[in-house]
Amino acid sequence: MSFKKFDKQTFIVDTANAYTERRITKREMLRKLGMAGIGFSAFGMGMLGGHNRGTRGTGFMESAYADGLPDSQAKWLKEVGSKFKGSKIRYTSEATPPTVVLNQIKKEFTDPTGIEVEIEIVPLEQVLAKATQDVQGQLGTYDLYYLDQSWVATFAQDCIDPTALYKNKPDLAMPDFKWDDFSKPLVDGEALVDGRWMGIPFDIPIFIMMYRQDLLEKHKIAVPTTYEQFTAAAKAIGEAEKANGIFGTGLQAKSGHYSLECDWTQAVWGHGGSVFTKDKKFSGNDAQGIEGLKWYQDLLKMSPPNSTASTWDGQFEMMHSGQVALVQSWDEFFPGLDADDSKVKGLWQPAKPLVPAKLRAPADCGFNEKPNAGHQGGSVISLSKYSKNQDAAWIFMQWACCEEIMTRCTLGGGFAPMRNACFNDPRVKAKAKVGAGTTRHLDTVKWTIDNAIATEPHMALWAGLSTNEIPTELGKLLTGQAYDGDAKKCMDALATQIDGKVKDAGL
Amino acid sequence: MTAASMPMDKPRRWTMPRFLTSEHPFPWLAPITAMIIAFGMYPLAYAFWLSMFKRNPVTRLNVFNPAWNWTKMFYDERVWGAIGHTYLYTIIALAIELVLGLAIALLLDSDRKGYGFLRAMMTLPLVVPPAVTGMMFLLMLDGSFGVLSQGIYWAGLWSPQHPILASSGSALAGVLLADVWQWTPFMVLIMLAGLRALPKDPFEAAAIDGATPVQAFFRLTLPMLSKIIAIAVLIRGVDLFRIYDYVKVMTDSGPGTATETLTSYAGTIYFKNADFPYASAISLFTLILVIVTANIFMKLFKVKF
Repeated sequence: MSFKKFDKQTFIVDTANAYTERRITKREMLRKLGMAGIGFSAFGMGMLGGHNRGTRGTGFMESAYADGLPDSQAKWLKEVGSKFKGSKIRYTSEATPPTVVLNQIKKEFTDPTGIEVEIEIVPLEQVLAKATQDVQGQLGTYDLYYLDQSWVATFAQDCIDPTALYKNKPDLAMPDFKWDDFSKPLVDGEALVDGRWMGIPFDIPIFIMMYRQDLLEKHKIAVPTTYEQFTAAAKAIGEAEKANGIFGTGLQAKSGHYSLECDWTQAVWGHGGSVFTKDKKFSGNDAQGIEGLKWYQDLLKMSPPNSTASTWDGQFEMMHSGQVALVQSWDEFFPGLDADDSKVKGLWQPAKPLVPAKLRAPADCGFNEKPNAGHQGGSVISLSKYSKNQDAAWIFMQWACCEEIMTRCTLGGGFAPMRNACFNDPRVKAKAKVGAGTTRHLDTVKWTIDNAIATEPHMALWAGLSTNEIPTELGKLLTGQAYDGDAKKCMDALATQIDGKVKDAGL
Repeated sequence: MTAASMPMDKPRRWTMPRFLTSEHPFPWLAPITAMIIAFGMYPLAYAFWLSMFKRNPVTRLNVFNPAWNWTKMFYDERVWGAIGHTYLYTIIALAIELVLGLAIALLLDSDRKGYGFLRAMMTLPLVVPPAVTGMMFLLMLDGSFGVLSQGIYWAGLWSPQHPILASSGSALAGVLLADVWQWTPFMVLIMLAGLRALPKDPFEAAAIDGATPVQAFFRLTLPMLSKIIAIAVLIRGVDLFRIYDYVKVMTDSGPGTATETLTSYAGTIYFKNADFPYASAISLFTLILVIVTANIFMKLFKVKF
């Protein structure tokens, strides 16, 4: 049996869906996939029943839907990549969905090239620590860094601009790489520092609104679109469902963790504030900033008590276990909510992020901060200036970020791709229905990326401020350790700290 | 004059310099001295040298400014808070582990059948890596599904509204729980060794004189164990002062800074802010505090090695 490419892809999707819906046996699925020329290597643990609870709430990693690269790219990989046979490249990353999938399918890179790839998957704060130590000693222990968008400015002097490299080394350039296909707002928000690419966008969790349709319908509440409506809906549902142990909302408010800082910036932006003013002064303590923080303090009262000990993993667990009704948070949670082990499979719906009543213009903010409705997370893969295997790592980086592999990463976990073309891939479209690894939230995500993406300040101090000073002081406030619940006192103290550091660093 | 009659220089026998021979202490001391210099003195000296620089996180340049970090530390509220938490943690953990350790050791100090097995079992928590212990207790104390938390809520000892690790008033207690679970057996083993080494005669004499077990414990066991107890407290106290793993894994110094100790703060400054000189200064300050505290303790309790 032979297939044209489209038919083949559709056949694979149908077969995979049939298996996940238990319409065919595993044996039958394997037989059909064998007909389609797919080996076991392509089928991750999710497809064969070994669901893995990933981080940031994806809940599982499904099949990576093995398929070939276009001929020109496959030929390039074999011919150019094999020149570096025997090299070993190292990449350290958080357990983000695309990295987990990439780790599963890296054999498809190693087989034709002979380049070994070691991917170290560690918690976010350890990624920062490893990268920091590596650049400090200019060790080159890691050839590729996972850089969260909040750190790119910190590591700007340690990374090679991939677009320049693509032009300067045409012999290593992957054909048909299509740089223009990368979503422009993502490139601006994640990768660019002073007009230079710090890496290639690889992961884009972004804030969207998610709600339990059954609970909203039960209580005849319309889907909230504004911050006020969200609070009112969360309060109403929380009170009505108290006996059932359901809370209005849930937060990722762990003290000292970046997740709390993300929640806070969204709250501030949503009320017309920003982290910095255009004269580079901390502005979390202005009227809009305080309004945003007070709104967040109110939300905390409607959240499970464990919210102050929860990062994004904990927040996902609250949603996944049916403990909360409304959440404005990372879109990457969504596929996990539709997984088979979810207590609320099919009950969550995606919606556009809440509309801020007012929004501060980027021109009035400092350090390229861009307030908007959808807080952008995400990361880039960056090529280390200190790498001793730069060429081999560069080839891997292009392979990992080409259209086909990015699409397959999306199919593996149902999370948003960086390339516009991936959103329209028939395989991605085919999965836009309730079920494991769903992509039914991606239209909302695409809209948010294109229209409402919000970006944190890009400055060298931000990695420290966003993981230490800001979430620690917020933690003191939210857990009652200090400030007696007074948001202004907390923000004033933070302003003194941050302005001092900014001045001291000569920014 | 013939060659045969010419005076010949005696061939000189090469001998090792005396300081390289086994008669001299140098060859015996050299390996350990080299190790101490390489692994003890050099890192310490480097940390001290590093602490005298002011780091610019933007340019990543270190500028020589010996007073900067030490002055900054003096005005840093988090350092003072961390000192308080470190002492509080050390004192409470020591007290609990010592009392529990001694009590369990007294219970296990028997030659009856099965007690050997029980004593062996006591060593099990000691072989678990502290980070794994931290993770175990993090899960068990989780406010939503943790088995320990649920038990405590069920018993009415704590309100579910204030999860143990998420509340500033109770988080330190949660971390202490993990420490006590893991390190009480260490105290048990030391106390057991001490108890087993005690002479029998005084106890027999006391029994003949009609002393009760309680009297024997307070008048004989405790005084005779005092040196062992002091050494156990000293070793464990120094170890507790460096607490890092449990705090990092279970609370990451939070909520707020409620469980922030000196070492965890140094770790935060090092790993999150990449301010290596300041982190070095805090680490050295911790070392100074340990030395001062340990010496005061040794003077007070007349501990001699």
